[in-house]
Amino acid sequence: MSDQQPLLETRDLSVRYGGVTANQDVSLTVEPGEIVGLIGPNGAGKTTFVDAVTGFARSTGEVRVGGKRVDGLPPHRRRRSGVARTWQAGELFDELTVAQNLAVAVQRPGLRGLIRDVLTGSVPPAATIGSALETVGLVDVADRRPPELSLGQQKMVGVARALVGGTSLLLLDEPAAGLDTHESQHFGVELRRIAAAGPGVLLIDHDMSLVLDVCHRLYVLDFGKVIATGTPEEIRNAPQVVAAYLGSPLVDTAAAVDGGRS
Amino acid sequence: MSVFIQFVFLGLTLGAVYSVFATSLVGVYAATGIVNFAQGSVALWAAYTVAALRTDGTLVLPFGGSLRFGDVTSPMPMVLAVVVGVLSAGLLALLAHLLVFRPLRSAPPLANVAASVGLMLFLQALVVLRFDTDALFAQPVLPFKTFTLGNVVVNASDLIMGGTAVLVALLLWAYFRLTTTGVATRAASEDELAARLVGFSPDRLAAVVWVVTAMASGLIVVLGAYTIGLDPTSYTYYVVPALAVALVGRLTSFGVACAAGLLMGAFQAVLLWANTLEWWPSWAQAGLGDAIPFVVVVIALFVLGGKIPARGALTQVAMPEVRIPRLRPLPVAGVVGLAALAIALTSDSWRFGIVTSLILSLIALSLVLLTGYLGQISLASMAFAGTAGFTLSKATTEWHVPFPISIVLSAGLATLLGVGVGIPALRIRGAQLAVVTLAAAFAIQSFVFNNPSFTPYSGNLIGTPNLFGLDLSVRRGTDLITLRFSMLVLVVVTTTTLVVMRWMAGSTGRSFLAVRSNERAAASVGINVAATKLLGFALSAFLSGVAGCLIGYSRGQLSAASFSVVAGLSLLAIAYCGGITSVGGALVAGFIGPLGVFYVFLNQTLDLGQYYQVISAGGLLLMAVTNPVGAAGANAEMLRRLRRRRSEHSSTSARTPTVAPAKGLTSKVETHV
Ligand SMILES: Nc1ncnc2c1ncn2[C@@H]1O[C@H](COP(=O)(O)OP(=O)(O)OP(=O)(O)O)[C@@H](O)[C@H]1O
Ligand SMILES: [Mg+2]
Repeated sequence: MSDQQPLLETRDLSVRYGGVTANQDVSLTVEPGEIVGLIGPNGAGKTTFVDAVTGFARSTGEVRVGGKRVDGLPPHRRRRSGVARTWQAGELFDELTVAQNLAVAVQRPGLRGLIRDVLTGSVPPAATIGSALETVGLVDVADRRPPELSLGQQKMVGVARALVGGTSLLLLDEPAAGLDTHESQHFGVELRRIAAAGPGVLLIDHDMSLVLDVCHRLYVLDFGKVIATGTPEEIRNAPQVVAAYLGSPLVDTAAAVDGGRS
Repeated sequence: MSVFIQFVFLGLTLGAVYSVFATSLVGVYAATGIVNFAQGSVALWAAYTVAALRTDGTLVLPFGGSLRFGDVTSPMPMVLAVVVGVLSAGLLALLAHLLVFRPLRSAPPLANVAASVGLMLFLQALVVLRFDTDALFAQPVLPFKTFTLGNVVVNASDLIMGGTAVLVALLLWAYFRLTTTGVATRAASEDELAARLVGFSPDRLAAVVWVVTAMASGLIVVLGAYTIGLDPTSYTYYVVPALAVALVGRLTSFGVACAAGLLMGAFQAVLLWANTLEWWPSWAQAGLGDAIPFVVVVIALFVLGGKIPARGALTQVAMPEVRIPRLRPLPVAGVVGLAALAIALTSDSWRFGIVTSLILSLIALSLVLLTGYLGQISLASMAFAGTAGFTLSKATTEWHVPFPISIVLSAGLATLLGVGVGIPALRIRGAQLAVVTLAAAFAIQSFVFNNPSFTPYSGNLIGTPNLFGLDLSVRRGTDLITLRFSMLVLVVVTTTTLVVMRWMAGSTGRSFLAVRSNERAAASVGINVAATKLLGFALSAFLSGVAGCLIGYSRGQLSAASFSVVAGLSLLAIAYCGGITSVGGALVAGFIGPLGVFYVFLNQTLDLGQYYQVISAGGLLLMAVTNPVGAAGANAEMLRRLRRRRSEHSSTSARTPTVAPAKGLTSKVETHV
């Protein structure tokens, strides 16, 4: 490990929902420019981990962003420190157009906003929003509202919304659900480009070909605990992962991917 | 000590009314998810029906004529009259269910609030219109017996009232917990489809609860009216303390609601007794009792900390459609020019109506911002306006603050109050927030506006506005309202509206809509949701405050009646129906609002002034039912469909993939955001 601080570092992060321990002592790092995969069966606690890092779930343990403790801060403060997320269920602003969904993340309300609105009209920065939409291929639907879009497109709006407004760490909760194989591959390429520009990415997805393809490192969660970590190559062969996933998509997909490659 | 206990018993009668209203509210909420602001006015109808039957045997019908069942010498017998009165309340509730609330079943919560507030105002106006409220008195129903407990003299009637309240709560509790239909009713309000599958009709189950609770509320008012006194306003607004105690029981517990209601009545009676004590401060002598509900609500929400279970959390609630305003010089100039022309061409009462409409539209605009954009229902706008108005009186006559600064100062104080009232919004939303703001408005009205220690009855004069030596006063000679003053109002309202439109179209409006649409997601993009809500309350209160100052200057002298809670309620309901999400809706609301142009038209042209409240509240109900998302929402929906159809048409014909994406977007973003 370099002596530079990792972009994201959690230490013994735990989340309890009543009797359920949704995350237990999860320690994880993401370096700048790195794409880290977080996989695990349904209910393993992946979303919970994102919730805890972004301040939407009460957790114990440490969360550091760029070396600074952020646990204890409310969600909006964490977002302003550069941590952006997408939601598994989209959670877009249905009454706003796609472009406005992004604009909200760039220009935040407040007294300064009131004055700016009156003096300048607060026209959203077209270049920022345009390039984010271009990244996810949604330029054509900038003026549509989310309910008019396909599920895959809605997920991409979420990604674009997380990209704007000063982002150093991107937490993506199943962004590719709803994309077809081709779109998913394209998304993988874009994700690599995003990370290459500096931000770190934590990617959660059930699309194993995508995850194994684009991630530099992977963590595997099962019942809230990290059961394996390593490169995609190592994870694919780790016996405990195969056991956790027995009969579930990883084995099949991974096999299919292997088969397809060879 | 014995005097103290004496007063506690005296409070039982009023407490029983609160208690039965509260348990009825809990029942209606359990069955339908609706917070029924009209609970008191339904009961009011029953009380007047009985009073009329007992006076000369007249059975007053809501519309048309009335039936005679006796005369002054032999009115209807007591028991029969009570039965008929109680039935009349049940019948009204059934009608309300069938005509108003059932059609609104899947409408946004705001539609239900607007409708039930509309119903409350409508019934109250109907009572005033249909009954000779000045001449009718309640006759005693309960026995006059007294007996002594220890050294305290207790009225049998007080005990009977308390006992009835407990009985009603018990019966309602038993119905909802122990009977199959009751359990099905609760289930049906949560999952209508499931109830239908098991073979229950949710409509019929809800109808039963509407009727039963209305009859219970009617009965308790009929029984207590002799002791409490009968007048057409107080019972309507007893729903506020009742809502407060129902909130203590988190709108779900009959037992807590019943007990808290009785306690509140007793407590208010004790306060009356405290007024007679020597050391009791004079500022606490008026209105403290009416401020109690607000205190109770705040305690219930913050100290007891119980969150009220929200309804229909699973289904996506539709919100009124929003059309983000675009400032186009020509239409703006057109509207302003038209208003200026109207002011110039009219005089006296017509001009006064126009100016009042302008001012009211500013208050409605404050609601558009807060309720339409931010999604926070507030019934306290008139209280903010009044706070500013009374501050203005002090600022101009005692502190001699000059004209434009006086408005900023007074509206600033209203802003502070707005932030205070907004704090509960950080924990609750929807109809419950409406309850809290209503309780706050009542507390402010009774404790501040009606309190001679703060606002002397002798009058709250307001200094005349002067700007650079220019006299801008409202009256000159016989001129009821001067052209100069009217233009001043037009300028202030126009400037403020333009600023608000910039906010709506700018980042503030977008963030407000984001918060309204999805608070979690808003927080995840870096919006401080709590601060944004408070900002909304602050802005809204400031706008209302400015309007309150203009009302002050236009009257020259203020009384509590200038800023009644009722006016605020009607304005919200009207603004909702006119279109709570658009500036146009605010203008419509101002036009129809109390003492505005529409009122002048009814009063001067048609000579139907006394029907104003019935017509406006009735129209409101009609609008709410036919357009659950508001008129502007319906229009916007239609426009959008039309546009969509047209754009689909053009996009299929011209599909050119060669446009450079970034460039194409740049122009799009600029034109449409
Ligand atoms: N708000 C909550 N309250 C109670 N339990 C919760 C809550 N959110 C999640 N859980 C529980 O925590 C565990 C982890 O859930 P989580 O949503 O994090 O899983 P996941 O890995 O994201 O699953 P999926 O792949 O299905 O999205 C599950 O057992 C879930 O039921
Ligand atoms: Mg998940």
